[in-house]
Amino acid sequence: MSGDWREQAESLFEQAGGLAEGEGKVRLLEEAVRLADTHKDVGLGYRMRDALIDAATFGGFPDKALVAFAWCRGQQKKDPKRFDPEEMFWKQKWVVARIKEFPHITRKQIVDALDDVEQCFKATDSGVRAVLKMRYQAAREMGDAAEEVERLWNAWLEARRDHLTDCRVCELDDELDHHVDKGEWQQALRKARPILDGRKSCAEIPHLTLGTVLYPLFKLGELEQAREVHRRGYALVAKNREFLSTVGEHLEYLALTDNLARGLTLLEKHLGWALDHPSYRDRFTFYAAAAFLLERVLAAGARDVVSLRLPKTFPHHQADGGYDVRTLHAWTREQARDIANRFDTRNGTDRFARLLARNQVLAGEVRPFPIDAK
Amino acid sequence: MDHRFQVSLRGVIDLLSHHLYSSPGVYVRELLQNATDAIRARQLLEPGHAGTVRLELMEKQDGSPPTLLFTDDGVGLTEDEIHRFLATIGESSKREALEARRNDFIGQFGIGLLSCFMVCDELLVVTRSARGDGRTLEWRGRHDGTYAVRPSEHLLAQPGTQVFLVARPDMAHWFTAQRLRNLASHYGGLLPFPVHLTTPEGTERLDSSGVPWRREYDSASERRKALLAYGRELFDTDFVDCIPLRSTAGDVDGVAYVLPASPHFNSRQKHRVYLKHMLLSESAENLLPDWAFFVKCVVNANALRPTASRESFYEDEALAAARESLGQSLRGYLMELAREDPRALQRLIALHGLSVKALALDDDDFYRLIIHWLPFETSMGMMTLADYRRAHPVVRYTSTLDGFRQIAQVASAQGLCIINAAYTHDTSLLEKLPHAVPDVQVEPFSSADLPQSFEELTLDEREATFPLLRMAEGVLAPFRCGAVVKKFYPAEVPTLYSADAEGAFRRDAERAREESDDLYAGVLDSVMAASGSEPAQLCFNLHNPVVRRLAAVADRDMLKLSVEMLYVQALLLGHHPLNAQEMVLLNQGLLGLISAHLGGDGGRGGEEGSGGAGPRGLH
Repeated sequence: MSGDWREQAESLFEQAGGLAEGEGKVRLLEEAVRLADTHKDVGLGYRMRDALIDAATFGGFPDKALVAFAWCRGQQKKDPKRFDPEEMFWKQKWVVARIKEFPHITRKQIVDALDDVEQCFKATDSGVRAVLKMRYQAAREMGDAAEEVERLWNAWLEARRDHLTDCRVCELDDELDHHVDKGEWQQALRKARPILDGRKSCAEIPHLTLGTVLYPLFKLGELEQAREVHRRGYALVAKNREFLSTVGEHLEYLALTDNLARGLTLLEKHLGWALDHPSYRDRFTFYAAAAFLLERVLAAGARDVVSLRLPKTFPHHQADGGYDVRTLHAWTREQARDIANRFDTRNGTDRFARLLARNQVLAGEVRPFPIDAK
Repeated sequence: MDHRFQVSLRGVIDLLSHHLYSSPGVYVRELLQNATDAIRARQLLEPGHAGTVRLELMEKQDGSPPTLLFTDDGVGLTEDEIHRFLATIGESSKREALEARRNDFIGQFGIGLLSCFMVCDELLVVTRSARGDGRTLEWRGRHDGTYAVRPSEHLLAQPGTQVFLVARPDMAHWFTAQRLRNLASHYGGLLPFPVHLTTPEGTERLDSSGVPWRREYDSASERRKALLAYGRELFDTDFVDCIPLRSTAGDVDGVAYVLPASPHFNSRQKHRVYLKHMLLSESAENLLPDWAFFVKCVVNANALRPTASRESFYEDEALAAARESLGQSLRGYLMELAREDPRALQRLIALHGLSVKALALDDDDFYRLIIHWLPFETSMGMMTLADYRRAHPVVRYTSTLDGFRQIAQVASAQGLCIINAAYTHDTSLLEKLPHAVPDVQVEPFSSADLPQSFEELTLDEREATFPLLRMAEGVLAPFRCGAVVKKFYPAEVPTLYSADAEGAFRRDAERAREESDDLYAGVLDSVMAASGSEPAQLCFNLHNPVVRRLAAVADRDMLKLSVEMLYVQALLLGHHPLNAQEMVLLNQGLLGLISAHLGGDGGRGGEEGSGGAGPRGLH
């Protein structure tokens, strides 16, 4: 009986390997980790966590990736010969790149973690470009001064590529944010072209890209193309909670084009992810888009109550599925505002308040373009 | 007059052979493709034209490398067109340029010819255009980039094209009769016109007699038999069934074969696909929706765009639409099984449950048709959802294997039937149930819900167990764990530890914090401070004889020690790894119990006995 826990852990590991990214996979690996820990098998615990970090990163559980990495990090410090830190550099990058998405992590902790990555990478004389990209993204997302963000953007793209640099496709996708921030729609689309044409792809590309380009396409009046991009892109992200913020982008697009029924369907389907999503940034994107959508439903004025199947964990859950649009709107806006406050307080900037205010701009841009007309 | 290519031809050939093509053998495919395109073009001019392709292998008496003569009676090339394809070659030094050129007839012709330089150093093309002035022209090109275009001395009586390839000595093995026979039937097996091969042994016809799934059969069973035989021949597999496929988008048709064994989830099936009746790939993966990994297909597509390497399809709208329609063909088959032959459907579910479940998640009508036939593991054995619902009005499930293990034993003793929905898609399928079927109650169930089904204590019992409860609350508070005493089955289980998912995550975070460095310990402190988990709970079972005796113990030290040990044991039984503090409890407790058993001071061994080198492991 006592012997077979190892086999059990291995079998969980193997089962997880056969699953698509998502909650199921994460749970199996967590269970394997707990088995290893219960029996104080550090080697096995390390190996299972190694897999868990990947699964959690790509399955929408960045908090679990962080916890697993922190444990591994401890082992690396205790016995660097046995647990080589260098072999986990990529995972360290994934984990640190996302801690800014938790508002309860302080700015100092974020800066320290970034400095720590730089130190670690420097020791092997590599990773300059990777670190600069992380610094650029942190500064951008925490709403730091435009000149500083611009400086980091330039420094990132000037640095030399090496084995710690993200693949060209992922980098290309990240470059798009910069152009979208500045309203350079044409430029964003030009850069995205090889990805949109399907010539370049990666694990999460074009999934993310197809969300990012929706607004630029809309702004340029490329509504037909936006519709195709929405159809193609949504199908790619609909099953993995890792893509909650991309779902938010699709939601926003649907509200902008007055496809309110379809928008409500998306809201219904993905609210459950937002309710307990570890990334508050992703929650914010989703709630802000949901608030905009519901505002449109209110403005349309056709109905005060909508029938939705929302999860039981939703605070205003109704057994009969009838929801007052005003209540839903107020609640989603409150969620978005609350998260925005937490982020802006932590960051000492006003970026999230500005992002939220953008909904008013969007309201003036609505341009109906039915999606279901085939 | 001799000319030079504008680019390093070596570079282009290198690009083709190392980056674009998987084997030099594709030169046969490229030549067949050119011939096919030319014949189609001529058929547009002369609708009755049948078209023929001939391969003639000429072996040399002196043992020097053989020559292959590749002839078609297609549309041929005019002088202007020859210059255009040369220009194509000149511009083909980039992969993207190659891709773009594939889409026009002339561009494809040039790129196709280039592939021949993988196996020979010199090419002679003799051609007469159906649209031209009746002249026969020749183009002689060498791998070093020199070429010449001139009127040919060797006149062709009819429009068409001949390509002469002199094998490079190190590539002569690509020019044997057997190789050519295999390659030509491999790539051209579905071509709608004859392909003849002439070797020193004689002439033979290589193509099959048309497309098997478009042939007329006497009956449905004849058809099924013939198609299954065709599938066996293609894939060397005895398939369970075959399903016709059809999509207007991309103009696709073919057959899907149901695999005789369930494939690994991640192994997307490799399909055999033809483009305009020429074999494009034996390993196309992007043809069907994700859920459809229970079939392997052979299809022909007339209007999908191949990738540059011509080994799969381009991810574009046409492909997405075709994928959707092909998925509909498969769905139609499953729907029909559900209505006409439920037993066959159940066999299919047993074999390919994952595919069926994945589709059911996506598709509401299909879900309603199929959900009650799906089998689930429960705390009372395997049963279909229909059987489950007949006996249990509320559908209860756990979504983790660990969660299920923790409760299965107690739940079944309590008469609760709980579904283990830890398997792929099961949780999502069950959560969808109330949306698809009216008036069904579906509830997630965890160890935290179990105590609700337990029997409450009587007033007397409550009084009798009060000291135990007080002690337990005191001992467990530092571990963020509450205590309660109830009565449940089976009686052998003394306690049940329950925590919600947040609680389990918090425990993981605590352990990581203990192990990590200052930087990450600080970060994890922030994470834990923000986590909103309910305290865990330890439920004592008064049906258990040990717990009954414990409730009567007057010795407070003994009581404390016992509660601590029951707590640790409950954690371990529930597969909750111990944190450092709990590890100390275990080590001190073991020594305390031993010392109590040996007599002496009645169980106060803990603190003094364990200092320093306590046992670290559990086994």
